[in-house]
Amino acid sequence: MASADKPINTDVPEKDVFALHFLQSLSNLRRQNTFNSPEKTNDRVKKIKKAAYVSMARAAGGTNRLWSRALLRRAAKENNKIVRFPRRKKRVTCLRRRSNRRDPVEEEEAERLRNLVPGGGGMGTSKLMEETAHYIKCLSMQVKVMQCLVDGLAPK
Amino acid sequence: MDPPLVNDSSFSPANPSSYTLSEIWPFPINDAVGSGLRLAVNSTPSDKDISTAAAAAAAAEESTVTDLTAGWGGRKARALNSEEDESSKMVSLSSSGNEVVRFVRFCDDLNVIVRIDLVESVTKKDSGDKKRKLCGSESGNGDGSMKPEGETSSGGGSKATEQKNKPEPPKDYIHVRARRGQATDRHSLAERARREKISEKMTALQDIIPGCNKIIGKALVLDEIINYIQSLQRQVEFLSMKLEVVNSGPSTGPTIGVFPTGDLGTLPIDLHRNIYEQQEANESRGSHPEWLHMQVDGSFNRTT
Repeated sequence: MASADKPINTDVPEKDVFALHFLQSLSNLRRQNTFNSPEKTNDRVKKIKKAAYVSMARAAGGTNRLWSRALLRRAAKENNKIVRFPRRKKRVTCLRRRSNRRDPVEEEEAERLRNLVPGGGGMGTSKLMEETAHYIKCLSMQVKVMQCLVDGLAPK
Repeated sequence: MDPPLVNDSSFSPANPSSYTLSEIWPFPINDAVGSGLRLAVNSTPSDKDISTAAAAAAAAEESTVTDLTAGWGGRKARALNSEEDESSKMVSLSSSGNEVVRFVRFCDDLNVIVRIDLVESVTKKDSGDKKRKLCGSESGNGDGSMKPEGETSSGGGSKATEQKNKPEPPKDYIHVRARRGQATDRHSLAERARREKISEKMTALQDIIPGCNKIIGKALVLDEIINYIQSLQRQVEFLSMKLEVVNSGPSTGPTIGVFPTGDLGTLPIDLHRNIYEQQEANESRGSHPEWLHMQVDGSFNRTT
């Protein structure tokens, strides 16, 4: 694992909060599985993945970060819920400045990064870098915790 | 060195803008001569040119620019009034001399900047700065206060600029300093500040990603960042598949204790902590290809 050899920076992502949310949603999913008719495996995988991302977004401070806000909004939209986040910012949907002077390769890479980071479409480049740094930290935390869960809970 | 010439009599009635000088200078000018206060025209090629030009101007009795020189040690106070351009031109025509011609050319170049800089003592300097700002706003030219570096005089101008920059109060804007040969208009400055900010964030990002410090070049670094994020997201996907196997497996073994169907206490967290430490302990086993293989097997077992 790439992230295993580096210790998690403990001040940014709270792995306990993430694990709490994640285990809670896992138990909910399990209950649904036992009660309802068995779904397909892909759907269950998708649900677990979504639960993992939502838990990560919640653990990362809810709506304080742009990417976690976008993740939560996307998840809520998939559930057909109308959500109103507190302290909603007035944001221009497309801040991307088109300029011929800038380095085209660099801009292309930044565009790819925008597609990867949730909510990256409305960010400027420096904000994108900031959010990407936080997102990477949270992602590595998530991978580590999930790896631990898998290793610990796998039937011997 | 020319003797100091004083002509405040021709100063006040000739032009209405000379009230600034008289306000700044409450004491008689002869005393100022003794105390080493000097008033010169901004952006002249050298000190001697200033003095000769101003002396000639004063001798012609039409001058509006006074030059009081007692000590040449870089202490200067400068005044240049935009309204005085015509009169000074007349002076140059009447009084011949190379220095005067150069002086007038400089006046034509910067004909709108009003600046008075008194560097005799600290308090007097402060008052002079205030007055200079006032004069700049009166003349209606924002350039004089925006870019102090572009209009420094060639002779001893850097020292005067430093002295001028020092007493300004700290504000909340980003201070950008243009190096030699760099553009100084506001768009270039803003663009430079933005680029510096982005590169700073990028280096912070580089520190997070392992093995990214050696890569040189923004595009390559961004490529590496993207690859890293994609690999992490793929790992999350695989792990969620594996967790699905665990979660929806037969409810025997430790899963019963781990996922209590109901309200969630602190039990799972404690368990998770224990697991986490355990995993940290035996980190050394390279788990990635193993669990990947296992994972694929498990998913096939699930589907079949």
